[in-house]
Amino acid sequence: MQIYLPIAEMSLNALMLLGLGGMVGFLSGMFGVGGGFLMTPLLIFIGVPPAVAVGTEANQVVAASVSGALAHWRRGNVDIRMGVVLMIGGFIGSTLGVSLFTFLREIGQIDFVIAVSYVLFLGIVGILMVVESVRAWFRSRNPSAPRRKLHHHTWLHGLPFKMRFRRSKLYISALLPLGVGVVVGILAAIMGVGGGFVMVPAMIYLLGMPTSVVVGTSLFQIVFVTANVTFLQSVNNQTVDIVLAMLLVVGSVIGAQIGARVGSRLRGEEVRIALGLIVLAVCARVAWTLVVTPDDVYSLGIGGAH
Amino acid sequence: MSRLLSSLPKWLARWCMVFGALCVPASANAQSIVADLSTREVAISTGFTGAELLLFGATEGFGDIVVTVEGPKRDEIVRRKERVAGIWVNGTSVTFEDAPAYYRTAASKPLNEIASAQALEKLKIGSGRIDLTTRSQDSAERVLKFRDAFIRSKKRQALYSEDISDIRIIRGRLFRSTIPFPVNVPTGTYQVTVHLFKDGRLVSSEKTPLTVHKVGLEAKIYDFAHDHAAWYGIIAIVIALVAGWLAGVIFRKA
Repeated sequence: MQIYLPIAEMSLNALMLLGLGGMVGFLSGMFGVGGGFLMTPLLIFIGVPPAVAVGTEANQVVAASVSGALAHWRRGNVDIRMGVVLMIGGFIGSTLGVSLFTFLREIGQIDFVIAVSYVLFLGIVGILMVVESVRAWFRSRNPSAPRRKLHHHTWLHGLPFKMRFRRSKLYISALLPLGVGVVVGILAAIMGVGGGFVMVPAMIYLLGMPTSVVVGTSLFQIVFVTANVTFLQSVNNQTVDIVLAMLLVVGSVIGAQIGARVGSRLRGEEVRIALGLIVLAVCARVAWTLVVTPDDVYSLGIGGAH
Repeated sequence: MSRLLSSLPKWLARWCMVFGALCVPASANAQSIVADLSTREVAISTGFTGAELLLFGATEGFGDIVVTVEGPKRDEIVRRKERVAGIWVNGTSVTFEDAPAYYRTAASKPLNEIASAQALEKLKIGSGRIDLTTRSQDSAERVLKFRDAFIRSKKRQALYSEDISDIRIIRGRLFRSTIPFPVNVPTGTYQVTVHLFKDGRLVSSEKTPLTVHKVGLEAKIYDFAHDHAAWYGIIAIVIALVAGWLAGVIFRKA
């Protein structure tokens, strides 16, 4: 069943898009991640223009994160103060990111920058995840091994504008979460992701937040930042395809529910190793598109009518 | 196909007009070619997967027919990838101004058998002969490479095509040709020109305009996204928020 996507200006099979949403939703439900970092490259692989894939994915992530954010909110797992600081950073970052995106699109380098960002971030995060979870797995089999220090002080803790975050039991410089928010905002704009895969480790290792509030607070921030990206991409680039986003949303919310049920029966470390390997596989696939000799070194871009 | 069938009565009426024109004895200098399309518009709707139009007409006596279809003009950028440290990056680019987004030539026999290269050049018939102007400062040789690449890319997207076997002439008088539009067909006004050649000389030509446009919900979404971009963004966010919230509610109860 072919459906014409008005913004992407192409026809794709609606059932395939629902299936794609379902598959990515299943993985995101199982692993507790947003899934944007899987969906955007997949959309590009099936021929959606990269700019439309990124803009539309930001819109889909809004839908994918909101129910999780509400659930955590009800359980009191959101550090609102931290979330607001992250959100301000995220607004700054995503606004910068969309301007950068528009500029790169005009000079014809956006596809390249999207691909390089994916290779870089998926590579780093994938390797860290696999290494960390393999270590944890060994530790669980050998409990007598020495544990790492949970918290260490660095120059980061000497920064000014200290703020008390009661829910996170932290007294740190507001510049830290603000900076994390800016970086994640830029990523959200350029890569079409929520940025949870960068923010969650940053909150745990860099800010030292307790894990109980990490997921809720990051989802809270993601909803606002991806909403901002959706708005700015619509205004600047007209690259948000509502029809495509809706098909992906329907597929992914169903997939996510099934995935969450399956995921709860699996062991934490094994799930993280599997996720790390998936992240690395996507990274390798994107890297391949950068190094393989193209069929034709010339390509078309549209300059626009006048 | 259903669109073709639904427009059949009008289509038949036009055929009758064509036959009518043939029956009236015409003077030597009168219009010696008549042509029409099965429909004057291509509508892009939800299930659009491409379309095929039928061009038909009649000539007075024998001759060769060349049909050109030229799409809306716009600036098109051709970019060349270069290898930098093992990675392919877009390097130099050339912008062709007012290049047709779609171009098709169909002829009743190979073009070089119909008319001389000079005659075809003058009439700009054939994708190799269309006007592609650029303000690029590059050398003519390099621009030529970009020009070839532009036509090659367009052909790969099925937006440029050449077909010499497509026109069927029935009893030396009636002819028909199909005009294929791929799913990625650009919207705008198209110009269909039917040329009649006799002994290598252009004796008559007829132009028929044609519009390709989005209809229904697709058109509304596209126009709204471009004309009211801020509202479009807000609506996209609201839909996503409601959809996500609704999904949470439904699955919590289930």
